[in-house]
Amino acid sequence: MVNITSQSKLALVVDDSMTQCMMLSALLKEEGYQVIIANDGACGVEKYVEHQPDLVLMDINMPVMDGYEATRRIKNVSRENLAPLIFITSMDTDKAFIESVDAGGDGILVRPFSPQVFKAKIKSIQRISDLYLQVKNLQQEQQKDAELAEKMMSDVIESRNFALNKVGVIKQAATIFSGDMQLTALCPNGDIHVLLGDFTGHGLRASIGAIPVTETFRAMTKKGFSLLDIVAQINCQLYDLLPKDLFFAACFACISEHDKSAYIFNAGLPDGYIFSENAEIKYHFSSVHPPLGILPKLMPHTDLAIVPVQRSDRFVLITDGIIEARNEQGKEFGVTYFENAAKKGILTSDIATSVVSRLKRFCQNMPQEDDISLVDVPCSGWHENNLINKENQTHIPETYIVEDAFYNASPSWSWQLELTDKLLSSVNPIPIIMNQINDIEGAGEHWHSLYTIITELFINALDHGVLGIDSSLKDSAEGFSQYFKERTKRLEQLTDGFIRIELCYFPFEHGGKMFISIKDSGKGFDIFNVLKSNSFAQNEGVNLSGRGIELVNQLCDTLDYQDNGTFVTANYVWHDIKPYDLSNEIH
Amino acid sequence: MPISCNMSQEQNQVLISVEQRFDFSLHQQFRDSYSQCLDKNLSYILDLSHTEYMDSSALGMILLLKDHADLHSSTLVIRNPSDTVNKILEIAQFHRLMTIEH
Repeated sequence: MVNITSQSKLALVVDDSMTQCMMLSALLKEEGYQVIIANDGACGVEKYVEHQPDLVLMDINMPVMDGYEATRRIKNVSRENLAPLIFITSMDTDKAFIESVDAGGDGILVRPFSPQVFKAKIKSIQRISDLYLQVKNLQQEQQKDAELAEKMMSDVIESRNFALNKVGVIKQAATIFSGDMQLTALCPNGDIHVLLGDFTGHGLRASIGAIPVTETFRAMTKKGFSLLDIVAQINCQLYDLLPKDLFFAACFACISEHDKSAYIFNAGLPDGYIFSENAEIKYHFSSVHPPLGILPKLMPHTDLAIVPVQRSDRFVLITDGIIEARNEQGKEFGVTYFENAAKKGILTSDIATSVVSRLKRFCQNMPQEDDISLVDVPCSGWHENNLINKENQTHIPETYIVEDAFYNASPSWSWQLELTDKLLSSVNPIPIIMNQINDIEGAGEHWHSLYTIITELFINALDHGVLGIDSSLKDSAEGFSQYFKERTKRLEQLTDGFIRIELCYFPFEHGGKMFISIKDSGKGFDIFNVLKSNSFAQNEGVNLSGRGIELVNQLCDTLDYQDNGTFVTANYVWHDIKPYDLSNEIH
Repeated sequence: MPISCNMSQEQNQVLISVEQRFDFSLHQQFRDSYSQCLDKNLSYILDLSHTEYMDSSALGMILLLKDHADLHSSTLVIRNPSDTVNKILEIAQFHRLMTIEH
């Protein structure tokens, strides 16, 4: 009967000679070991499994099962736990030495040996085993820390994404940390910003840029910055932040349900896609710019791709981990396999699952080399309850309006901004304005419509007023992108001009009114032409330029163009009517 | 040797070629292949004709080489990338950052 205490170490002696067992036991006990004994290989394996000793001494020639076989079995069951195993033998041959190492032995001691040599051997082997244990503990600790860090990181990054339930996602990291990231955020006007990105390499090194990218993407989207502004800012940030050889391949998209269009910028990712509901590829978006963080500024003439989309279309982005995944023969998964799997996924309404299972079938048991990511984003249905329209205001009892208007003759505050010359092309006043409003009046749903109104009026003043671009260009799909090229060109050449924006706020008891006026230095334009081209630009049933004065007209209570179209005033009124208030009024 | 580096004194050329797989495992070796070249006005040529695979960290290594060349008033040319490698360079739009000769 062996009494095992936690303090002393336990040794297992496997030898068919009782004399040998006694001798070795005595020496081990002098070294402070508890000893258990087995008289053949099979019994040795059994006792090993039962007692999990710290050290094993193994004879070679034994009945039932020899020392080599017993060692192989012991090493097989003790993969995690390194108990050093020393062969004790009188066979002083190269063959015995080599075979004992092959079987998994950690050392060999050839008889005869003195007690001193034996003890020295035990000490040295124990030292190695202690070292191993130390490394293993460190590794476990590191793993735990890494898992915790990864969890926090993904909590910060992905769980705060907008409308996660609407987006199909694949995210398989090659190591604990993924260098890939997927973000979605809601713009003040109801559009959706989507980002799929891939940092160089993988693991912790690849994920350090993830937090600044996330913060910038979210904050700027929320404040109403345009997609290209956000891309430029993230590029600049990563250029300052990351070492030279670390960069961020990413595709950004803005999907506008009410414009029925998608704005896309691909910097270093494989082609992005828009699929129709019949699983046809409507558009490819190839990379048009080096990954972010390489150049201090975006390259000149950097434009977004702009395409019309249908409500039932799906926008799909992938990282190179999918295309470059390889099977045992070294063949790449490739674009064709991906496209086929995605098309099949559209018909079963689950692109992510279809691609994952096809990829799994292709790669079989090959270990994953790179992070694998996909996002599948619908082109509509983001906020059923959040639509920008005035329908919910049409039920307002008229008495409210009269009453409220009566009490408010002068504005509670007003605010003015005048942008001149070159600043017109470099400063986007919309986020500044929205910030002002939020700072003074706090956040609110009704600002979404106001954001749309101010954006449209400002863009009209800039495009048709200061820049003098003919709006009829927007009549066709080709013209649509030509329009944006022309706009970029004229903005670059812009040297003089001004736009003055003024806001006056009138609080009501149940809501409020914002008076907006915008004056520009342009020659003026025929407002009816703009209205016409905005509402009649049809292409395959898609209105290409829904972003128009038409929309503003619907949102505003009054809209007036004066001075040959160079001065516009608008009144936007809203009412804080809750559903129960409404029903009270009705009954 | 996956990376070979030849210097020709007369033409002021440093020819670096990478065989088979160009990935993170070659990081140190790749850097060693040029870090001792401190002369000015060299032309660095990165031959990728025998490179079968390249990952994004290889792109990072190329950027480091480009930086090294710029720092020493030298030039960098990528020569004859294989089809697979060219696809990767194209997606990363590297032709807008450096010269690629086909």
